[in-house]
Amino acid sequence: MNPDGVTVTAHALHVPDPIGGSVATAARDLFASVAPEPACGPDQAHTVLGRKGLLFKEDATRLALCAVHRAFGLPPGKLTEPLPGAEHTAVVVSSNVGNARTVRDIVTGMRAGSAHDVSPLNGPNASSNVIASTLAIRYGFTGPNLMVCSGATSGLDAIRLGVLLLRGERARRVVVVGVEPDDEVAGGLAALRPAAPGTTVPVPLRAAAACVVLEPGGAGPRLGNVRRHTRPDDIADDLRACVTSPAGDVTQALTPPAALRLTAPGAPGAGGGIDLTPHLGEVYGALGVVQLAVAAAWLGSGQPSGPGGALITCGDGEDGYASVRLDPADVPAPAGGG
Amino acid sequence: MHVAITGADLLTCHGGTDTTFAALAKGVDGSQDLRFYDTGRINVTRGYHVDDTADAEPEPPLRAGRWLARCVLGAVRQAGVNPAVERVSVIVGTGLRELRAMERWAVDGVPVRRRNLHFTTAVREVLPEVTEVITVSNACSASGHALALAQDLLAAGEADAVVAAGCDAMSESMLTMIGRVADAPTPALRPFQEGRAGVLLGEGAVAVVLRRAADAGSGALATVLATGLSCDAHHETAPDVGGIVAAMRDAHRRAEVTPHDIGLVLAHGTGTALNDPTEAAALDTVFAGAAPGPLVTGIKGAIGHTSGSAALMSLLVAAWAMRSGSVPATAGLAEPIEAAAGLRLVIGEPAPCAARVAQVNAFGFGGVNAVSVIRVER
Repeated sequence: MNPDGVTVTAHALHVPDPIGGSVATAARDLFASVAPEPACGPDQAHTVLGRKGLLFKEDATRLALCAVHRAFGLPPGKLTEPLPGAEHTAVVVSSNVGNARTVRDIVTGMRAGSAHDVSPLNGPNASSNVIASTLAIRYGFTGPNLMVCSGATSGLDAIRLGVLLLRGERARRVVVVGVEPDDEVAGGLAALRPAAPGTTVPVPLRAAAACVVLEPGGAGPRLGNVRRHTRPDDIADDLRACVTSPAGDVTQALTPPAALRLTAPGAPGAGGGIDLTPHLGEVYGALGVVQLAVAAAWLGSGQPSGPGGALITCGDGEDGYASVRLDPADVPAPAGGG
Repeated sequence: MHVAITGADLLTCHGGTDTTFAALAKGVDGSQDLRFYDTGRINVTRGYHVDDTADAEPEPPLRAGRWLARCVLGAVRQAGVNPAVERVSVIVGTGLRELRAMERWAVDGVPVRRRNLHFTTAVREVLPEVTEVITVSNACSASGHALALAQDLLAAGEADAVVAAGCDAMSESMLTMIGRVADAPTPALRPFQEGRAGVLLGEGAVAVVLRRAADAGSGALATVLATGLSCDAHHETAPDVGGIVAAMRDAHRRAEVTPHDIGLVLAHGTGTALNDPTEAAALDTVFAGAAPGPLVTGIKGAIGHTSGSAALMSLLVAAWAMRSGSVPATAGLAEPIEAAAGLRLVIGEPAPCAARVAQVNAFGFGGVNAVSVIRVER
């Protein structure tokens, strides 16, 4: 087991078209403060990535590539060799409906003629892990490669598994990506749920991608343990308990209150928190990673004035909720490690 | 840290655990004509369906989740785990999730809720008090990845027991892509067979309950020493010897075994043009110098390629074979390809086996590899 605390050493947001536009809200103000430049849509991904290698790549894969490319600060174009450290780098991607349109198109194409009328280049996209494997191929990441399709908590589930890969010494660096597209099939599927409490219709799905890079003992903000809430009302109980040592000891007494609270639609016990959804749109499996990237950017932006970090919660009333803390790099490590 | 399997259950085209093992022992090919699809258009005619013909609906909804729930509950009951008093995590490995429900919603207008497209709801309906359910969609090695993560969760002290599971029902889109690359429909899945025609899909679910070996007491089905993981980072669909070898060596290193210690290999053995020679080359590389080398068998000729379930199904067969002292023959295999000449493949009849340590291979689309090493006490 690697006992070192896990840190966020790089991050990027790639959200092409937030639903809230320029309407001033707390969510919009926060998001604009950390991502002031508009991001390109999937059809313009070549402006970030270069033109090679994008044929038959789905929107979600393109957006995920853009987020990773930006997190590593890479110029447009394909790498001629793997990124430094790629052989010890794992990939964990969260997306629930990334390949939904392709799945539909394969079936409708076949039914209109035969299997031989479907392009074989669609083949990789029939498997939901295509996003994670494409990132590995593009950047040479030969560490463990995971695709998490776990519903509304999927983003923080991916973070949780990324931390686990580091603790278990399966990788020295983990690239975690949350991404969803907003094509008509993905959007239709994402809407097949009740509206959040206090609202009448679900917020529509919007394309979004975010990347955070996790490393043990790095110089960035310190990531706590992801906590799953087994009861709706235990989120509040956990607000101060989200930083624990790898051994599982709660060190809440040493943890200053969170200065930034990011929450999810309908999350109980989240009064005063900022829900990014009214500004971004529903981003479903991307949300937890988007929130973490926003929190990391906010911590690095000079905006925070106190010692407290960020506490984020994602999920929904059907899949449950998960939370994690991200604290500034300069918080002293609590006794007992972590 | 080793973990013990204290409960297990599976469901295949042959039925539950006992009937599946009996069919494997006899080498029964469980394939049948495909249901539900226009096989003329799709260019695939055979597969290994789980038999739910007794259900009132011609094609019941959310089949993968139903099978998963049954197996998770069965394994948890066998293990005597109580999620109300212990921290129990569930990691579900799947290749095709409930993509079939997604297809039927998008193309046929069959209603679905989004919560049913992953497996939290299916598991919570039978075990509402589990701490968490995480769906890992890692293609044909998904349950091997779930097993690795389960062991890591226990090693990290983040759970008292973990259910590692797999489940998959066929999807029309994946069948289409298989039919797309076949000249004619594949008549049979024949791992490592000269002139083999390709893969056929299987269906089913599998679940194992894991505890830290020190907490498990006696009577465990098997001990999981370790699972090695790697990604080829090479090609979206074609396997790569280097990536597979890396996963095998990672597994051996973590398990603290050498190739000499391993007496049995459950091969991935999909019967495709690319997998079988690539897997054989990787085994040749890793077991070079460990003569005579382990016995090698595969189960997909009998139960089909069960995709996300395949790794854990192979693992349970490996444990059963070592405990019974008899390794089932590779159904569908009569004359091995030349590339497999160096493997001690079990052909025709079951082989006696004194092995106590086995290796289980699983490789998936995208070059995602999971190789497990298990041990049984006899």
